[in-house]
Amino acid sequence: MNVKSIHFRMTAWYAGLLVSLLILFGASVYFGLRSYLERTVRAALSEQARAVGEEIDERVTDKRLPTIVNYLNEKFAPQLNARFIRVTNVTGGVLYLSKRTSDRLLEPAVVPTPPRQSEHEYASEAFLPNGKRVLVQVFPVVTPDGTVIVEVGSLYGPIEAVLSGLMMTFALGMPVIVAVAIGGGYLLTRRAMRKVDEITVQAEHISSNNLSERLPVFETGDELERLTMALNRMMERLDDAFQHINRFSADVSHELRTPLTILRGELEAAVQQERLTPELLDLVGSALEETERLRTIVDQLLIVSRLDAGGVQMERVPLDLGQLATSTVEQMLLLAEEKSITVRCDAPPGVEVEGDPSRLKQVVVNLLDNAIRYTAEGGSISVSAATQNGWATLMVADNGAGIPPEALPHVFERFYRADKARSRYSGGSGLGLSIVNAICTAHRGEVEIASTEGVGTTVTIRLRPADGHKAASRRAESATPLLQEWRVQ
Amino acid sequence: MRILLVEDESKVARFIARGLSADCFAVDTVADGNSGLDLATAYQYDLIILDLMLPGMSGTEILRHLRQKDPNVPVLVLSARDAVADKVGHLELGADDYLTKPFALAELLVRVKALLRRGPVNRASVIRVGDLELDRLSRRVTRGSRPIELTVKEYALLEFLMSNAGRVLSRSMIIEHVWDQSFDGVFSIVDVYLGRLRSKIDQSADHKLIRTVRGVGYSISNGAHS
Repeated sequence: MNVKSIHFRMTAWYAGLLVSLLILFGASVYFGLRSYLERTVRAALSEQARAVGEEIDERVTDKRLPTIVNYLNEKFAPQLNARFIRVTNVTGGVLYLSKRTSDRLLEPAVVPTPPRQSEHEYASEAFLPNGKRVLVQVFPVVTPDGTVIVEVGSLYGPIEAVLSGLMMTFALGMPVIVAVAIGGGYLLTRRAMRKVDEITVQAEHISSNNLSERLPVFETGDELERLTMALNRMMERLDDAFQHINRFSADVSHELRTPLTILRGELEAAVQQERLTPELLDLVGSALEETERLRTIVDQLLIVSRLDAGGVQMERVPLDLGQLATSTVEQMLLLAEEKSITVRCDAPPGVEVEGDPSRLKQVVVNLLDNAIRYTAEGGSISVSAATQNGWATLMVADNGAGIPPEALPHVFERFYRADKARSRYSGGSGLGLSIVNAICTAHRGEVEIASTEGVGTTVTIRLRPADGHKAASRRAESATPLLQEWRVQ
Repeated sequence: MRILLVEDESKVARFIARGLSADCFAVDTVADGNSGLDLATAYQYDLIILDLMLPGMSGTEILRHLRQKDPNVPVLVLSARDAVADKVGHLELGADDYLTKPFALAELLVRVKALLRRGPVNRASVIRVGDLELDRLSRRVTRGSRPIELTVKEYALLEFLMSNAGRVLSRSMIIEHVWDQSFDGVFSIVDVYLGRLRSKIDQSADHKLIRTVRGVGYSISNGAHS
């Protein structure tokens, strides 16, 4: 689970919020209930204390005070109501003390006398020797015989029982509620985020070569729909800009052709002149060579622009990459021989792909041309084709000059040259690898280049194997590789 | 032989006309589409060279109208547009050949000649240049009395050179005819093969047949005028 994902974080926030709200709610219920219960008990105690006080006041004037014990026992029956009543005079003499309650929990004799706080009724509390808390309502009654203090109390226990019951309910109920809420929330947000995943996958897949594709729009009317539509509009603008650039380079190459035609025509006409001196002939020849190079560059630039713009219709026919590699190597072998370069070709037939034969051939030609160009005399080049990991691959490796690491990421850029001076000397248009890359991309394949300076360069192209030729490629994999080697003595 | 050249770029028209005239063709040049079509329908030309982007009427339109009236006159289309769709489209409309700018004048001349000899094609089985002989049927090459062993590519190269003897062929023309479009720009391959061919044909002879014209290309000729 990705802890940074939106649905995880949303669920976490939501769960945190829910837990704190539940705790807040529980606390307010708990304290509210406690204060309500306390107030209710106090009110009852107070009422009784007043009743006792009135009775005593009455009996003091009638001089019937000694009868009060029986009377109070009868009228209030404190021991049955789990209360205690104590009546004392100011000096501390006990005039009345109720008996032990029937549930045996409260023994009035051991309830300590609360400190005197006021001339009027006040609430107090006391603790029994066993630690139990007792709520006591104290009511001083002023009689002609002096002040008499009435204390009415009851144990705090029942309130505590209700409160701990409530706590128990919370303790059991809250985790269940929170768990259900988290689970439900997680599922709901994940459902909402699944569309985001789909959009992400599609967005990953879009590059400058398929800018005409768009993200899927879920017509839900929500923020996601708005987001995808905004992204789609952004891609449309990018697409336009890209096309504009590509159209521009196509137009430029196009416009260059007419003046080039004239230049070449005039120079050729000049060469035919019979009165030219050898020096002049050489100059014109050199100019012609340059126009020829310019023509190649313009042509290749146009090819790359067209491929990049996606406006090229690729043929899709089944063809054998191994055979293509072998036959191209044979055709170019003489070029390698001129430089005493050994070419090793390990390309068994059966590496089936679907594609445009002439363009794929151009890929092989360009790769070999580069390899021969940048390999010193007496070096070696190895060409291999195979089907592996679900790709048809072609690899051209040389032990030539190599490419400096800082240049490696740029070699597919148009006109990029790793070593300006040497490359110009070696010829080439500076577009070879751009064309290779553009053609492979148009075939939904990829190109990878690895190089170590002074050790050599390996270019690998990967193309999708042709459907329905899987059996053939498996056959090719298991077959003994056909090893062909040409050596120059 | 009379050729109509419809090309609005005056400099291009000029050097084409000059090249064709040097090869003893009579050339009429027009610079806009409408008069191009007028001339093409008014006179019986042996060949029409047609640029595509023209003021007035486009080359494509001229071709369309022309083919309704005269299905036979050979038409060579010249264009800066090199897309396969353009080529195929115009060939389907009735063009006989399609040449992309910039082109070598030599190539234009080769193509023009090829179009003009379409009728009775002179494909003699044996071609000779000086004492060099190439037999297309037996695929045998001899210089004087000495037989020369050639690889398939060397043979194809020599045949192309010899069937255009006396003409300078550019390296891209050679690539296009002997190799294929994929090798465009790999000029070194032509140089290497020509080097080999030359060593087999000319090395032991004191009369050199293969000649390099710097910047233009190669040609094979009897050497009388080189």
